[in-house]
Amino acid sequence: MGKSPTTKDDAQALFHSLRSAYSATPTNLKIIDLYVVFAVFIALIQVVYMAVVGSFPFNSFLSGVLSCVGTAVLAVCLRIQVNKENKEFKDLPPEHAFADFVLCNLVLHLVIMNFLG
Amino acid sequence: MLVVGGNDGSDGGMVVVEGMSTWQYHLNLQSPNTSQLRSRTLNPNQNMEKFSIATVFIASISLLLALTRSFSVENPTDRRILVLLDDLALKSSHSIFFTSLQARGFELDFKLSDDPKIALQRYGQHLYDGLILFSPTTERFGGSLDVAAILDFVDSGKDLIVAADASASDLIRNIAAECGVDFDEDPSAVVIDHGSYAVSETEGDHTLIAADDFIYSDVLLGSTKIEAPVLFKGIGHSVNPANSLVLKVLSASQSAYSANPKSKLSSPPSLSGSSISLVSVVQARNNARFVFSGSLDLFSNKFFKSPVQKAGSSNKYAKSGNEQFVTELSKWVFHERGHLKAVNVRHHRVGETDEPAIYRINDDLQYSVEIYEWSGSSWEPYVANDVQVQFYMMSPYVLKTMSTNKKGLFHASFKVPDVYGVFQFKVEYQRLGYTSLSLAKQIPVRPFRHNEYERFIPTAFPYYGASFSTMAAFLIFSFVYLYSK
Repeated sequence: MGKSPTTKDDAQALFHSLRSAYSATPTNLKIIDLYVVFAVFIALIQVVYMAVVGSFPFNSFLSGVLSCVGTAVLAVCLRIQVNKENKEFKDLPPEHAFADFVLCNLVLHLVIMNFLG
Repeated sequence: MLVVGGNDGSDGGMVVVEGMSTWQYHLNLQSPNTSQLRSRTLNPNQNMEKFSIATVFIASISLLLALTRSFSVENPTDRRILVLLDDLALKSSHSIFFTSLQARGFELDFKLSDDPKIALQRYGQHLYDGLILFSPTTERFGGSLDVAAILDFVDSGKDLIVAADASASDLIRNIAAECGVDFDEDPSAVVIDHGSYAVSETEGDHTLIAADDFIYSDVLLGSTKIEAPVLFKGIGHSVNPANSLVLKVLSASQSAYSANPKSKLSSPPSLSGSSISLVSVVQARNNARFVFSGSLDLFSNKFFKSPVQKAGSSNKYAKSGNEQFVTELSKWVFHERGHLKAVNVRHHRVGETDEPAIYRINDDLQYSVEIYEWSGSSWEPYVANDVQVQFYMMSPYVLKTMSTNKKGLFHASFKVPDVYGVFQFKVEYQRLGYTSLSLAKQIPVRPFRHNEYERFIPTAFPYYGASFSTMAAFLIFSFVYLYSK
């Protein structure tokens, strides 16, 4: 419609600009983003399940949610460190970042297995 | 067989010991001259020494033998009964009652109530298992007997029959009051019933009453119903309704009252109606049994044999119900009936046979006990469907009725509750007329050990799945991230 710009038009314009900007990101960052979305999704499932059946083995619930939150956090850290547009980590080799990521994940999963019961 | 006989011909008192029967332990009442060891080879000097040794030996054996024949756990029926009379004519006027007791195997020892040789105890042991007090007028007993001695006697589990009369002394009233039975305080009051007196040829002042208000109990009064009313002439008593140990076996009818028949009533009588009890029984917590009767004539031959007709009813009975009533009550009071014992308490886990020292919560266990009833001559299995076992710690966590195999074995199986602590298996069984059973066996219960919990909790499977899936996702991600262009 050619009248004054409505909110719906603004939202659509925003959405289009986000999509076009996002498609410009490098593939490896997109893979990391997918990984984060997967982890958050798993965490949400667990929270909904706990809301339904109650928190009986609370340690197991915490362990499951922590594994998802931990992987998401570590993946976000990896993304920050390998993003070429990020001036702060310009001198950090991406292999170094990936190695840190792997070690931290190992520790995370050790803790998870222990706390899972 | 040892024969001890008098050597001189004047009074040959022979005391014969044949195994375990017919032993008279009144050896000390006989004069020592009549017990001399018969010997042909020893000269008279050695005879005297032998005589003294023999007397001591025989006296000690007699005491031991007398004690072994007393009330024992294996044979709970009483054996020796002391009968105190205030008039020896009672022996013949109540002879049917006494001979029926003797025919059932009791040894009756008749004494006058002021006989100075009366002793219930010797060297700390009781000499008798039962006491019959047919001495209502006695003010003081002879020997060492008094209210305290009689109470000590019944506190040790022995039985008592007390018959009072219109002339009952304070001593008898005190004994009854200590046992929970309160005779009418007025010393001249007797039970009068103008509604259900016994019809007789003479006019009478209606103090001879025909009572048929019996307690409803097969244990106390036998399984045959007593058809004819019971003749009663004497004083009435009341029992406290809050006292659960005292039972009114024969109550007076609604029209009875307790007053002096010769004087006019100035105020309403304190005891009246069916709260007057004519014959009561008490079973103490240590299972001693007492019978209190307000009439000594209830036990007499005259009342046993006389016909009875209740006023206002046309039924004439040729024989009163006294004999049957008294016989059945005496069977109960001397532990020929209604005596239970519980043996062989066992418990174990289902599937095992030995008794563990400790149980775990949520274990399945089985408890069993054997209960027998004394039939007068042997132990018969007790059959009932209301024996309950409790698993008790401050309050019963489990209360289960036990089932029986009709051979005396009662068993129940249940799950240990989800509480740990020190529990008791308790069986508390009190039924009217039966001895009370009170068993308790302590057993601890522990919680789960750390390796007795279930390994994987089914409710947590989604969390297990989520954790493993994040691990798998990490592996897949790292491969994809490293090897993608």
